[in-house]
Amino acid sequence: MDELKLLREMHDDVPGVTDAAVNQGREQLLRRMDPERSGAQKAKKKHRRKALRIAVMSVATLGLAAALVAGNVIGVSRPQGLASADAAEVLNNAAELTIKTADPVVGPGQFLKVDSTNLWLSMMGAHNPPDGVGAHGEMEWLDTEKMSLYIPANRDQEWVWERSGRIPTTFFDEKSKEFALNQAKEMGDTSELLKGVGGAFYNSPSSFPDEKDMAAYSRDPRMLLDGIYKRTAGAGQSADGEALVYIADLLRTGMVPADLRAALYKAAALIPGVSVTDNQATLDGQTGIAIGRVEKASDFRQDIIIDPATGQLIGEREVALTDRGSIPAGTAVGWTTIRTTVVDSAP
Amino acid sequence: MTTDSDIIRSSGESPQAFTQLYDKYARMVFRYAARRAGESAAEDVMAETFLVAFERRESFDHAWEDARPWLFGIATNLLRKHHRTEAKMLKVTAKASGRESYTDSTERIAEQLDAAAATSALAGALRKLSAADRECILLYAWAELSYEGIAAATKVPIGTVRSRLNRTRRILKEAAGPLMNNIEEAGHGRAQAIA
Repeated sequence: MDELKLLREMHDDVPGVTDAAVNQGREQLLRRMDPERSGAQKAKKKHRRKALRIAVMSVATLGLAAALVAGNVIGVSRPQGLASADAAEVLNNAAELTIKTADPVVGPGQFLKVDSTNLWLSMMGAHNPPDGVGAHGEMEWLDTEKMSLYIPANRDQEWVWERSGRIPTTFFDEKSKEFALNQAKEMGDTSELLKGVGGAFYNSPSSFPDEKDMAAYSRDPRMLLDGIYKRTAGAGQSADGEALVYIADLLRTGMVPADLRAALYKAAALIPGVSVTDNQATLDGQTGIAIGRVEKASDFRQDIIIDPATGQLIGEREVALTDRGSIPAGTAVGWTTIRTTVVDSAP
Repeated sequence: MTTDSDIIRSSGESPQAFTQLYDKYARMVFRYAARRAGESAAEDVMAETFLVAFERRESFDHAWEDARPWLFGIATNLLRKHHRTEAKMLKVTAKASGRESYTDSTERIAEQLDAAAATSALAGALRKLSAADRECILLYAWAELSYEGIAAATKVPIGTVRSRLNRTRRILKEAAGPLMNNIEEAGHGRAQAIA
């Protein structure tokens, strides 16, 4: 028995399609071929819209998956150039402040608690092909999910993960709002309280970075960045963009020790195209400086937001720079804010 | 012999010819969609796949005789709007213990429980995959597309398909591996007993 054979047998017991459904589908197809046929439906010509190429975040991950669908494959080449001078200054300052910060000590029996608020993009409809015929057309809205992850002092012990489930919170048109709220009502409460030894939730190996991985990253910014380019080779829309996404993903786990956080900031300062994108960026009520990079291939911008006074990471976000369906240009279509504390017990 | 490519060509002149493609593949598309997102979603996906395909028939790449990669590519896109249902189905499978199954032999029951546990672990791992990785492995395992077929269906280079499948199979193996060994051992034990 191998994993493929097992997979081939999974959900193998679905009932066959009814003849009625087959006939109905056939009838729909015939009507499309000949609009005069029953009902004299006029063939609606949908306007062509630029394909929106965002992968909907997997519900079951903390969001370690990159948000952009892998596009052009780009080999590892050592890029030239640096972040803009002002971005480098903010990042290097934040690194200096961070290195002086003592990480909270998690004593025996205690937990590192990572609270996060996450905004996810939800899309429905046949967005690729862009002129696909969806029963509901294209719809988009944003969901919020709050999570608390309790990591035991001894990371081999049981972790606890509270998840609120995705709750639709931000809408751009009435049609999507109605659909999203109805769907949410239908789904009911999707909150979860998960437990997993060693961070292995959903009966799957842990997807969180472990202490060994953290220790293995170089603390030299150049070497660290080169390592990240190697790890992300071929992913994302561009090598530089993917490197920044990787850094943002790692930082937002809330599990990165201070010396590595400092090195990651300095590494980000070495990425070409990174600049200060917003001096007064507010995310979930907290204000900081946004450092980011525009991905020209997809017209998205990845930002990391830092509190300049403390060097602490407030969060990260992904901003759409052009209209995406009903979502206006300039909207943050995904973000995460984190807060870490040490607590004595987990639920 | 009439290939799918021929059918699509002739549907340029006489659209009704396209129904041959529907009759040939509708049930196949339904089955794939139903395994991923349940029957009710599958009925919609089946019908919509062919509506989209019909409207886009000019974009069909006639280097292919077989229309399945093209159709499953469209179905895959349509299935994205059912991602919540898919996640929920996987969640249910991941939580199923297999205790409701019954047979006449204790050895068989033990093996079934192991198989159910391995399937649960597999569903849990599938649920955690990125959408692109999940689509890739399911097009391979459930739609039975070739590497080339998956590349055409998902519009990525074949190297990407290869690396996605390698990575995904590794993840699935890691998730279900220890439990699968038990099934294998049970099988050996029985074979020896018979010999």
